[in-house]
Amino acid sequence: MNRPAIAVTGLGMITPVGHTTDTTWDGVRAGVSPAATVPELHGCAVDFACTVTGIDLDDAVGGRTAFRMGRYVKFALLAAREAVADAGLDPAHWDGARVAVVVGTSSGGSAGLTEQAVALERRGPEATSPSGILLTIPSMPAAEIAIDMKATGPSLAPCTACSSGVTALSVARDMLTLGHCDIAIAGATESIVFPIAMTGFGRSGAAAPRDGDPARLCRPFAADRTGLVMGEGAAIMVLERAEDARSRGAAPRALIAGTGATTDAHHPTSPHPSGSVARAAVDAALRDAGWRAEDVDHVNAHGTSTPLNDATEAALISRAYPHRPPVTAPKGVLGHCMGAAGAVEAGLTVLTLQHGEIPPIANLDAPEPGFDIDCVTKAPRAATVRRAVSHSFGFGGQNAVIALQATS
Amino acid sequence: MTTIHPKITEVLTGTFKVPAAEILPESTMDSLEMDSLAVAEFAVIIKETLGVSADSEKLYKDATLADITAYIDEAVDSAESEATVPVSNTR
Repeated sequence: MNRPAIAVTGLGMITPVGHTTDTTWDGVRAGVSPAATVPELHGCAVDFACTVTGIDLDDAVGGRTAFRMGRYVKFALLAAREAVADAGLDPAHWDGARVAVVVGTSSGGSAGLTEQAVALERRGPEATSPSGILLTIPSMPAAEIAIDMKATGPSLAPCTACSSGVTALSVARDMLTLGHCDIAIAGATESIVFPIAMTGFGRSGAAAPRDGDPARLCRPFAADRTGLVMGEGAAIMVLERAEDARSRGAAPRALIAGTGATTDAHHPTSPHPSGSVARAAVDAALRDAGWRAEDVDHVNAHGTSTPLNDATEAALISRAYPHRPPVTAPKGVLGHCMGAAGAVEAGLTVLTLQHGEIPPIANLDAPEPGFDIDCVTKAPRAATVRRAVSHSFGFGGQNAVIALQATS
Repeated sequence: MTTIHPKITEVLTGTFKVPAAEILPESTMDSLEMDSLAVAEFAVIIKETLGVSADSEKLYKDATLADITAYIDEAVDSAESEATVPVSNTR
């Protein structure tokens, strides 16, 4: 298939280190995790996380509507507004029928569902919110963005666990390719820092147990890594066919060159030990982009800091890219933003392409001996990066890889 | 009636981010751009905080804030004088 080039013309982010793309980039470059004890998690074995702080989300979203939105919806809406403004677009003047919204999430409003369950159990049906369902369903980020921006084209919410963000970008790219829309608002959002989810991650063995300063706990690819640290946030991009972007005078941040997706079909939480199916996603993305492995200048790794993921992924990277391109893993700083992670990391990869700078992996001195990969540590590394990939390997074995390219 | 029950003002400004300057005795939920879902949520909060039940569509949607204040004050008073009789939500 002869695909049109797809451009990233706008980017918006809200993360534990910043409420915007620029502040998030600065925070990730600084390489310091904000993970800290969360008062709402009092009594949980895992009572810390990287959270979005220092912003009144309801004020930022605006009156009369925030009450019906879960935290994950508010994140998505704020990131979408930033992305659309960044793209130089104004929803007051666009043809909304040609605008699609594709915003993924892994757990949607499970936090809101839990609150409503408690209200129902303790105080009865009259104590529950008439918006209870809106607070829980995963498609509301896409729906609320569409309402806010009068985007009447197709909208949907891809759900592929921790790779939901890359899946959303991939689906949106396909919709642009097929002509289903002219503008796609695409990305992902997540907010599940609440006792039930955190207890579940603790009990599943995926979360790093408390051990000293939480900010030091997420150390992707380190020999002494013990598990993931929870994060939250959203990243949204505006995608357009590059030709359309050019004709309206927009300056793209980057191009989506290819995507690839596979499923381990092995185990709900453990990656397939051979990494062969995840590797097939990498190969599919490279094939889709028309690249050879040695074309890849940089790998933005999934890098969760769990013993199993990082071992499998390090082996995969050293085999798939034998020329040892520099590797970063933003979860060291941001924690694992779950369904949003793939979109956040794709966004950071776009910024690396633009700025020629690879952020360091937080809390890492050197990768575990035996991991034959070139990890960026301590400080950002200046590098000419023309082509980069971002890996997302989700629970359920849902793998998605995106290949991103500089515009010039 | 020229005063507004403080809980009404608190909920409108806090939960619904209605600018305080727009909250006047003669304002209605409609004039404050509170849609039916927002008014239903408002009713739940009033019920949960003051114990006053109401059919939000009937009693709050088109009423002025002065009317709603009068309704809440009366309901709270009668609940206090007949503490064992729950406030009906069907009247």
